[in-house]
Amino acid sequence: MSLLQEWQNFLPDFLPGLWVTVKLTVSSLCVGLPLGVLLATGTTARGRAVRWVALTLVELGRGAPGLIVLYLVYYGLPQVGLTLENFLAATVALGISTGAYTSEIIRAGLNAVPRGQREAARALGLSPFKELRLVVLPQALRIVIPPLVGFAIVLYQGTSLAFAISTPELLSRAYNAASISFQYTAALTLAGVMYAVLSLTAVALLGIRNPLKRGSP
Amino acid sequence: MTTLDVPLLRLQDICVSYKGNRVVHDVSLDVAGGEVVALIGPSGAGKSSLLRSINFLETPESGTVLLSGNEVGAGQRRGRTQVSKTALAAHRRDVGMVFQSFNLFPHLSAVENVALAQVHSLGRSREEAKKRAYQELEHVGLRDHAEVSPAKCSGGQQQRIAIARALAMDPKLMLFDEPTSALDPELGLEVLGTMRRLAHEGMTMIVVTHEMHFAQDVADRIVFMADGRIVEQGPAKELMRNPQHERTIRFLKAVRDR
Amino acid sequence: MADFLQVLATGIQTTVLITAGAFGVGVVLGLPLALLRRSRNWLLRAPVIAVVEVIRAVPPIVWLFLVYYGLSSDLAQLSTFQAAVGGLGLIAAAYMSEIYRAGIEAVPDGQWEAGRALALPNLSLYRRVVLPQALVVVIPPAATYAIALLKDSAIASVIGAQDITFHAFQETQASLQGLSVFATAGLLYILLSLPIAAVARYADRALVQRMAA
Repeated sequence: MSLLQEWQNFLPDFLPGLWVTVKLTVSSLCVGLPLGVLLATGTTARGRAVRWVALTLVELGRGAPGLIVLYLVYYGLPQVGLTLENFLAATVALGISTGAYTSEIIRAGLNAVPRGQREAARALGLSPFKELRLVVLPQALRIVIPPLVGFAIVLYQGTSLAFAISTPELLSRAYNAASISFQYTAALTLAGVMYAVLSLTAVALLGIRNPLKRGSP
Repeated sequence: MTTLDVPLLRLQDICVSYKGNRVVHDVSLDVAGGEVVALIGPSGAGKSSLLRSINFLETPESGTVLLSGNEVGAGQRRGRTQVSKTALAAHRRDVGMVFQSFNLFPHLSAVENVALAQVHSLGRSREEAKKRAYQELEHVGLRDHAEVSPAKCSGGQQQRIAIARALAMDPKLMLFDEPTSALDPELGLEVLGTMRRLAHEGMTMIVVTHEMHFAQDVADRIVFMADGRIVEQGPAKELMRNPQHERTIRFLKAVRDR
Repeated sequence: MADFLQVLATGIQTTVLITAGAFGVGVVLGLPLALLRRSRNWLLRAPVIAVVEVIRAVPPIVWLFLVYYGLSSDLAQLSTFQAAVGGLGLIAAAYMSEIYRAGIEAVPDGQWEAGRALALPNLSLYRRVVLPQALVVVIPPAATYAIALLKDSAIASVIGAQDITFHAFQETQASLQGLSVFATAGLLYILLSLPIAAVARYADRALVQRMAA
C-alpha cells in the first residue's frame, strides 16, 4: 500500500481527533486567557501579598513542564478527592499553563502603553476604570494580539500532551491506529501533517512572524 | 601620474541605484596618483554612494572602474557589474577604506584589528602582520594603545586605528567616507591631522567630507556633487574662492553662514 | 515524602542527559542550518526554510513518536534514550538555527562592510569577524531555549525513557500521592533550570556591559 492510500484509510478516523484537538485548544484558551488577565493584574498589583502570590503562580506554571502540570491535575487532584475526566483535566491543565504564559504577554502589553497616556487620562478626569477601558486597553490590545495568536498556535500543538492522559485527540487517534495496524510511520506522519497544515496555515493567514519561536507550554 | 595618460583611478559613467532609486548618474572622474580629492555637496548628493562604488561595497549598475588602467569587473549583467571573487578581492586589497562609524572589530584589540586582514587577506605571517600592525599604530600615534580594546578608546583614537588598519594593507588608494562626522569637533581634529600627514606623505586619497577647511587646505581638487551628478570641480582653493555654478555658490554660502 | 523524592532523584540523570544531548545536537546542527538559510542561493535556502518551519509546526511529541516508532523500527532499533535525544535534538536544531540566525543578523552591517573592504575571504569574515560577535549575542536566548528544552524533555517519559517524569508517573500508579509527587517533580524541574537561568542572566549582563563600554 502506498503512503497516500494509507493516509486515506486513516483520515476518517483522524478527523474527529482533530476536532477534539481544536475543541481542547479553544476550551483551554477560555480558561487560560481570563486567568492570564487575572495573573497579569495580580503581578502588577500594589499589594505585596497579591503580587507575590501571582508571581509565584506564574513562575510555577511556566517553570514546570506542561506534562507535569497535566499529570498533576489528572493523577494528583484525586489525592484531595477531586477526580476530573480526561478532557476536563486536560482543559484545566492546559488552561493553567496558558494563564501563566499569557499573563507575561499581557503584562508586557500593559507596560508598553506609555505612562504619559495614563497621566493624560487622569488629567482629563477619567475614572480609573474608564482610564483602563478607554485609554490603556485599546492600545495594549493592539500590542498583545499578535503574540497571543502566536501562543494559541503553540497551544494547539501543546494539546498533543493530552495523549498522555488518553484524551481522544488527534495524536491518541494516530497512536491507536498505528498500534493496531503497525503502520507507525504512516499514521504518525499523517498526524504530523495535520498538525503542521493547520499551524502553518494559521501562521500564513495571520502573517505573524515566527510565533513558534517559544517553547511549547 | 605614473604614465602620462593613465590615472591611478578612472571612473567612467558610473550609475548607482539604491532600492530602485538612482542615486549616482553617469559620473566620470579621474584621480591621479598622489592626488587628494575632496568630495563635497549636500546630503543625498550621492557622494558616499559614489565612493562606495569604487570598492564595490555598492555595486554599480553600469559604468567601469579602472585602477592603474585595468578594468575591475567584466561588463554588466542583469543591471549589475559582474566581478569575479578573485578580481574583487585583489581590487579591494588595493583600495583602503575608512568609514564614518569606524567599524572596528569590537572583539579584537587594536593591534589585532590591524593585523587580521594582513593575515587572512594578504597571507602575511602572523609575526609579520603583528610587526607591521605595531608600525602602523605608531604611524597614527597609537603605539601605546595596541593592546587596548577599541571600546575603551575615544572616537578619534578609534578612527585612527581604523586608518592604521587600512594602511597596513599597503593600499594604492584610500577612501574616506565622512571620517569625522561621528566625532566631536576636537576629536575630529586629531583624525584630520592624521589624514593631513598622510596626504603630505603622498597617499592618493578620496575624501567625502563636510569639513570645508580641510577640503580647502589639504585637498588638491574639490569635486562638488548634487543630485547624483558632478556639478563642478576644480583646484581646491580656486573652487572655494570662486565657485562658478549657482548650485555650488548656494551650497558654499549655506555652509559658511552656518 | 523522603521515599518518593529518592525515586524521583533516580530520574534526574536521564533528564539532564536527554536535555544536554538534544541541546548539543541543536548547537552543532543549528549553525550550518542557519548559514544555509542565509545563503543567497535559493536552492540551498529553500529546503532549509521548509525543514525548519515543518519541524516547528509539528508537536515535539509527534516527532518523538516518529523517531521512536517509525524510524526506529524501519531502520535500526533505537533505545528510548537515543530516540529522545534524536527527536528532541532535531527540534533543537531547528530552534537553534533561528537563534543563530538572529545572532548573525544582530552583527551590524558596518562589520560586514569593513571585512569586505579589507578583502577578507568569506570564511575568514565569518570565522574571525561575524561569528565571534554573533555567538555572544546568542548565549542568552540559547540558555532560555535550553530551559524550554529541559521542560520538553519530560515527554521522553511517554516513550519510556526513565527520566524524572517517568519515575513520578510510576510512583503515582503505585500509590495515591499524585499531588505531592507531581508537585515535587515540577519543583525539581524548576530547580534544574535555575543554573541555566543563571548562565542566561550572567551572559545577558556581560553583553549589556560590553555594549555600553
